[in-house]
Amino acid sequence: MQPNGNPSDTSQLLKGVLDLAVLAVLADRDSYGYDVLRQLRESGLDGIGDASVYGTLRRLYQAGALKSYVVPSDAGPHRKYYGLNDRGRIALDQSTKTWGSFTRALDHLLNGRSTANAR
Amino acid sequence: MPDSNPANDVASYAAAVRSALSPLPAAEREILLEDLENHLTEVASESEVSLEERLGKPGDYAAELKLAYGAGGDARSASRHTRFRDRGAALLKTVAGDLPYRDVRALLPELAPGWWVLRAYLAVLILAFIFRRGTNLSPLPNPFSSSGLLQIVVTLVAIGVSIRLGRRAMPINRWWRGGVIGLNVAIALLALPVLASMGTGNNTYEYSSDPYISSAAAGSYPGITNIYPYTRDGKPLKDILLYDQDGRPIVPDTTDLIVDVPKGADGLPIPNAYPLSEHQPNGDPVVPPRVALPPVQPSAPAASPTPTPSP
Repeated sequence: MQPNGNPSDTSQLLKGVLDLAVLAVLADRDSYGYDVLRQLRESGLDGIGDASVYGTLRRLYQAGALKSYVVPSDAGPHRKYYGLNDRGRIALDQSTKTWGSFTRALDHLLNGRSTANAR
Repeated sequence: MPDSNPANDVASYAAAVRSALSPLPAAEREILLEDLENHLTEVASESEVSLEERLGKPGDYAAELKLAYGAGGDARSASRHTRFRDRGAALLKTVAGDLPYRDVRALLPELAPGWWVLRAYLAVLILAFIFRRGTNLSPLPNPFSSSGLLQIVVTLVAIGVSIRLGRRAMPINRWWRGGVIGLNVAIALLALPVLASMGTGNNTYEYSSDPYISSAAAGSYPGITNIYPYTRDGKPLKDILLYDQDGRPIVPDTTDLIVDVPKGADGLPIPNAYPLSEHQPNGDPVVPPRVALPPVQPSAPAASPTPTPSP
């Protein structure tokens, strides 16, 4: 069995928490789409598709959770930077709590199973 | 060939994604794809490999985009904020979901006297609103207004009557019972528009009462698109970096403007250097406002007479 699980399992799991992951990346500093993707991948979430991140950013922006501004770049195209606004911070706080209680519950459940299997 | 020239590759890939999303309403598609070309150019610049090899077929890319954006369902007709609010509400429900309903129910009898007082006050407020239609309704009772005494007396009498009625047992007769409940509901509902019209003002700060986050702390200032700092003696300042009380850069809401954001030595943008250099999407520069600076007190003690009032 692979140490990191089945890649398609991972990407299924990621879909549900992509909002939270993107908000968490933007909580550190404002960033543009491709950079958000890079940061997610650097933190180990490499099952995420480019289109998912881009689509999530656009949706969060449309939903009023992100602010956005354009930064001209001398080398390449203009970059659209995104950052958290009030709504985004509130959503991040709330989702963080929900995520915490969810993972605690699931950890508890899975640990219970693994000790039962070991016996 | 798609991958012979990166610019052509981006253009043809983007066009294919656009056409795959053509069933979406045009306005929504444009909002979703507004930045796609720039984004793809960014992706393409990272490697020599063609976009299709890196990102998959444009059709698949479009499908993933649509899924992540949540387009194509009923939600897409929702207004800009409602979808997000629904998600917030769902999250809140998850968090508050284990608050037992029965505990709340058990509290209701204890809360009733509070409602008796409140409904009396709201009824007076509704009457006051009806009888002074047009002008702004200020909080009641207002002892400094011409009818201040009347307002206080009417409010107190209404509260007394309401409590007396509340302490009586609910009528047995079904019609009376329905009438009493209906009247309570009507007062509660009618009070909403009246309270909303009282003009305490600023709905943009609706989240500021949240205990762990205030509007200012998040560095977002609705309605402010730029800041023009001046010295006390009236000289306009440039390149002023502003931070809030938590050390976060203050970034205004420049959604509809293009901002030339300067960059630091590390290449990262500095979005809080004021005044921001802004221009309209059509290229017109944003003209700084004319400001009325307060008069300056002369520094020399033996100055000529000034209009400053003496203490």
